[in-house]
Amino acid sequence: MLRKKHIAICLLITSSIATAQTADKKFSVSGTMGVTYEGYGLNRNPAGWTGYTARRPWNQVRFSFMPNFQFGKDFSLPFNINLAALPTNFAGPFSGFIPGGPKQNFKQWITNPINSIAVNPTYKWAELQLGTQYLKYSELSTGDIGIFGAGFDLRPKTYRIKFFTGTSQPGINYFTGPPLITGAFKRSNWMFQIGREREGKYEVAFNFAKGKDFINSSAPPPLSIKPQEGFIASLVTNVFFDKGWYLKLEGAQSTFTKDLTTPYTPLIKSFEPFIKSHTSTTRDYAGTGSIGKKGKNFDLGVSTKYLGAGFQTAGYPYLQPDRLDYTVNTKWNTWKNKSNIYRMNIVASLGQRVNNISNTTLSAKQLIGNLNWFTQFNDQWSLNVNYNNFGFQSASGLNPYGIKNVSNDLGFNPTYTWSNSKMLNMLSFSYNYSKYDERDVLTGLTTGNNTHTALLTYVPTYFTKELTPDFSVMYFSNDVLLAKTTLVTISSGLGMPVAKKKLQLRGQLQYNLVKLNTFKNDNNLIASFSVDWKISKQFSWNTYLSTNYFKYGNSIIPNGANYLETTCRTGFRYKFDTKKK
Amino acid sequence: MIKKLILAIALLYSGYLAAQIKVTMVLSGRPPANLAEWANRKDVLTFIMGESGGQRFEVKIKTEIKTLDGTVIGSTNLNTARSFSPLPAGSTILGALDVLPLDNLVFTGKYLSAMQKTGKLPADNYMLCVQLLRLPDYAPASDPVCKNFYLAAYQLPILMVPANEQELNAKVAQTAIIFRWTPVVPASTTPVTYHIQVFEILENQHDVQALRSNQPLLDKNIIGATQFIWQPQISMMPYSNEKDSISTIQGKVRDGNTQGKKFIWTIQTLDNAGQPLNQTEGNGESRSEPHVFYVK
Repeated sequence: MLRKKHIAICLLITSSIATAQTADKKFSVSGTMGVTYEGYGLNRNPAGWTGYTARRPWNQVRFSFMPNFQFGKDFSLPFNINLAALPTNFAGPFSGFIPGGPKQNFKQWITNPINSIAVNPTYKWAELQLGTQYLKYSELSTGDIGIFGAGFDLRPKTYRIKFFTGTSQPGINYFTGPPLITGAFKRSNWMFQIGREREGKYEVAFNFAKGKDFINSSAPPPLSIKPQEGFIASLVTNVFFDKGWYLKLEGAQSTFTKDLTTPYTPLIKSFEPFIKSHTSTTRDYAGTGSIGKKGKNFDLGVSTKYLGAGFQTAGYPYLQPDRLDYTVNTKWNTWKNKSNIYRMNIVASLGQRVNNISNTTLSAKQLIGNLNWFTQFNDQWSLNVNYNNFGFQSASGLNPYGIKNVSNDLGFNPTYTWSNSKMLNMLSFSYNYSKYDERDVLTGLTTGNNTHTALLTYVPTYFTKELTPDFSVMYFSNDVLLAKTTLVTISSGLGMPVAKKKLQLRGQLQYNLVKLNTFKNDNNLIASFSVDWKISKQFSWNTYLSTNYFKYGNSIIPNGANYLETTCRTGFRYKFDTKKK
Repeated sequence: MIKKLILAIALLYSGYLAAQIKVTMVLSGRPPANLAEWANRKDVLTFIMGESGGQRFEVKIKTEIKTLDGTVIGSTNLNTARSFSPLPAGSTILGALDVLPLDNLVFTGKYLSAMQKTGKLPADNYMLCVQLLRLPDYAPASDPVCKNFYLAAYQLPILMVPANEQELNAKVAQTAIIFRWTPVVPASTTPVTYHIQVFEILENQHDVQALRSNQPLLDKNIIGATQFIWQPQISMMPYSNEKDSISTIQGKVRDGNTQGKKFIWTIQTLDNAGQPLNQTEGNGESRSEPHVFYVK
């Protein structure tokens, strides 16, 4: 019954939009469509050696159809259709659908995240949302998942009314494999937002979102995953003041049942009629807030984020709760030259993350600091300095010593530029020192892990030629107890247009030498090449070829093992650019 | 008269002794932190109720969770507790669902708040005490049996390097990219495996959509260590020189610049059996919150 009502509402809105647009006959189409083939090859030697595995599908074809039909100034019909011929799911609910594996049924195909079919007819302030939509209502409520369904986004004057309902995953049966399919319960979602907004002034909105699994939607059901249900309510308030000051706040409460097969309980407060509590239900809070000032040459802001340990939402399935983050960040331009252009730019942030606010696990603290300092001394010289620090500290349960990991990265990047009447030359050197210390929880000993990276790049730019070459040499060294790895890379690239700029060619060659401890060197050669052929103003053919040859010395058995990996990608793209009156 | 009284008491006492049921409890020393998960795991709690010695009567299970100093922090509501009939001859085996019925277990103070918010108790050592009470007078039908256990929820790794939204130099990144993450807390009693995966975010894909639909370019298991140096052996040269100034995604204008490449990475934490370490938390896959990074 509800479904019939949805269909009727959709038809009514569509028909009213269709009627309305006939009054204005201006018509245009923008956007793109195209088809791309991706081929992959892997040849390993000696025969039977499996030390290196394929990392792309052998064959894949992708279709895209994303035109935006504009009828007059008020009505538009944007399509977003992206399809892949073969599923390649390795993580998440669809994990296990890979080429050669079980076939998907239609519902699984249409809701598989590798595919999306959507159309969003829009008339003035009314947008109808049909098909797969990735909708972000707010930072805490929903935003990371694609849902196949229907809804609308209405924005009359300053009002905001949004609603969407559909399926984010169909029922997927557990399959022992190979390939193993973890399986999933069918999950239906809905979300609703109501509020007011004046762009650049304020935004106030209530968000409600729910996701619920259907217990009997897969047979056999997943072995490890439990059917879940979650409901979240949040309030977003953003205010933008004069002179760049802003205040952003969001508070949310989630009620989440981790296992719908557990019994109902009156001991945990329900949020009826939206959700009824089970013994595995948790109910917790989260909040984000930031305040600051944004200016042309100076930014300063403070932001904080709290996620309670029981906070969980179906809209952000990978959110890690039980933490409090607070950060101070700034951006600053200073030291003007004679032309009144700033020579110095500083971007910095300092913050801390505290895990385990709830005390249900062991306390852990992280210090996070970043600094990027760029100075243009004169027309020739510039210097960029960056520093990053991450520290993590925690008790480690029954072990005698606590966990302590500290990562420090310091980088210098001077650049010298000079020119003559024919060309501009840029010589850039960067050096980065990275130190990572890790304490062993059993012995208390700290293991040092030092990495040095040095890169020298030369880029000449010709004023009279269309060639764009570049050359670089890199040295990388990582030293950790019992393992020293050294990498040396030489690479060069070249780009140029030919055939009256209708063909754009670009190539790159890279040689890597890899040395582990005293083992014989490994050798690696990577070559890549791309051709962009602009057949017409709207139509282009893009081809990309890449090959990777790697030969081990004697660091693995069998000695001298090698592989050749090839990637080919070719596709046609049509750009809609039609304007008819 | 006194003799008759002593005889009556002796008879009653002997009857009481005959009605005492032998009970045995086996409890994991490190059960799941989420108490609702105990019922799903047969290896966590087993309670054996012995025979009733030929008598027929009903009992209720009185369960108490205590801190090590003996303070009761949660106990069953006996009025609404389910009753059981011990077999006249033979044992009855019960599990966590019967012994620790969360829909009938009343917690106190901060423990109540913790349970409602998180489904877990604060990380600490606890004691579980179980005793059978005979109906209708709630007289003890067994000796209490107590077992200690330690609770601490696993905190999954947090991705450290590359930081979220970090931009890496293409010349450096095509030779080596360093990944670092925090270890599982508390340290597991058996070595954990960190399953690192890196996915390329293709044109017209959203970040998490790429993670859920693409084949990973890096898919490697790392035991114990919290750093991995990846030699991508991938040319970071853009697929096309063509700059796609604007593409529309669901009617919204989005930056579709094809210059450079974008990746999303995550860590899945596996136990020594190769299973996700924490299957009832979050996404059930024990996958850490992913980060994206750019190579330009």
